[in-house]
Amino acid sequence: MKLLLLLYIFIFQITMNDFNNLFRKYHRRLLLYSLKYVESESDALDIVQNMFVAIWENEKYKQDEELVKAYLFSAVKNGCLNYLKHQKIVKKFENETSLQLMTMEAVHYQSGERSLIEQENMKQINDAIDSLSDIYKEVIFLSRFEGLKNHEIAEKLNIPVRTVETRIFRALSTLKEKMLQKSFFILLYLKGLGSIVK
Amino acid sequence: MLLVLNAKNRMKDREYIENLIARFLNGNCTEAELQELKTWTKTSPENKKEYLSIKDIWDSANSPKENTEEQLSIFYKNQYEKIKKSRLLWIRYSSAVAAILLIALAISVLIPQKSTNQTESFQVFSVPLGSRSKVLLADGTAVSLNSGSELKYSSNFSADNRLVELTGEGFFEVKSDKEHPFLVKTKDFNVKVTGTQFNVCAYDENNFTSTTLAEGKIELQIDGSNQNFEITPGEKFELDRKTRKYTLGNADIESEIAWKDGEFIFRNIPFPDLLQRLERWYDVKLNYSDAGLQKFNFTGRFKNQETIWQVLDALKLTSPIDYRKTTFREFTIIYKPLKQN
Repeated sequence: MKLLLLLYIFIFQITMNDFNNLFRKYHRRLLLYSLKYVESESDALDIVQNMFVAIWENEKYKQDEELVKAYLFSAVKNGCLNYLKHQKIVKKFENETSLQLMTMEAVHYQSGERSLIEQENMKQINDAIDSLSDIYKEVIFLSRFEGLKNHEIAEKLNIPVRTVETRIFRALSTLKEKMLQKSFFILLYLKGLGSIVK
Repeated sequence: MLLVLNAKNRMKDREYIENLIARFLNGNCTEAELQELKTWTKTSPENKKEYLSIKDIWDSANSPKENTEEQLSIFYKNQYEKIKKSRLLWIRYSSAVAAILLIALAISVLIPQKSTNQTESFQVFSVPLGSRSKVLLADGTAVSLNSGSELKYSSNFSADNRLVELTGEGFFEVKSDKEHPFLVKTKDFNVKVTGTQFNVCAYDENNFTSTTLAEGKIELQIDGSNQNFEITPGEKFELDRKTRKYTLGNADIESEIAWKDGEFIFRNIPFPDLLQRLERWYDVKLNYSDAGLQKFNFTGRFKNQETIWQVLDALKLTSPIDYRKTTFREFTIIYKPLKQN
């Protein structure tokens, strides 16, 4: 039976190219996107899996990639919101305010705003992190890659928590500038092309 | 002075809110602090926008474990479990899997066979010693096979491809088809016909290989030479297998082909030939040691109802021989010259 399963997986891994490509290209980004709203990584993974099941069943993966991509992100977001609603019911969501903040965020992206996760590929974001100055890179690394909380970073670096908080905010703000700048340059470049064509 | 103070306060406020955001994202915020943050985002669209864009950067700089391939396998595994639950689908997919396997199997079986396919498979029809049989071939040709004979033909034998190989003796009644000649191969010569009746005698142990034509016309080609012969009805072609010499002359058709109707006719045949025929006919072994027997020629006619005992008794009466049974189905023929007193 185990063998049959492996055979089954193997056959689909080699035959369902459209679907596999889509999965490989977007899975990680969709996971990041769902982690915007869902703290638990395993719940986030479930949401993404369910979304791919829907894509598989309605055969959306056969459509044009741009359409599918937009569909993927909004489907994951809806999945997350449903999850939150459910959490609110079962757990009486201890943190009413943080739910309100999340709802605000969801409404924001519902209005057509696009997250960096949707716009950029992960490499561009990682490149921007790499180009940060060392003290900023350090706090981003410790918080986002090592998973340390602010007070843990403070202990580790032997600095006040307040300094850690400041550095984290500055690091994020610098990253934001860098990403904006990049898209600004792209915009300039496109405009330049436009005038050349004229 | 007041302005500077205001600016300082704003700076402090600004720092405070920045730290609050950082604490919210990666620290332990109290409910009161959360309220503060919420209120701040609500005060102006810029505040809200700033908060959301900082959070977006924070979210996109996240680095969960790289597990896309693992997740893809989990996806297929879940699909598999689901399908297992719904029997119908399960059967559909497993038959798809089975079909793929079958195709793969068929390909792996067929591809190597294609290269060896040149050596096509053969059907062999053999008649044991002591019995006779008749075969009807796919093109409508009837072949009577004498005792101890073997007819071999390709599994592709058809009305368009009429080729058989014969060891032993066979009488052919070939279905007429001028477009597609019928070919009989023996170890010594090939006989090509379009529609006739003829006998071919090509036993491995015989000294001679021969063919006798009853009706129609046959073309004969000796193996390993370009010699072609046309044989007319009533003629017998006989090839000495050792010397490769041949004779072509008139033959006694009746005695040649009587065997196919269960008769055993021999006219003036040498003693060794007679013994050989009898051996084959009755599936017995007949030995003799006296060379004096070889000079006798025999003539006779049996209806095949007789036993080997009756045949030998008859010979004993008409010629100077006697016989003794040595073992099971084995006899010794003894030369007993008539005493001339």
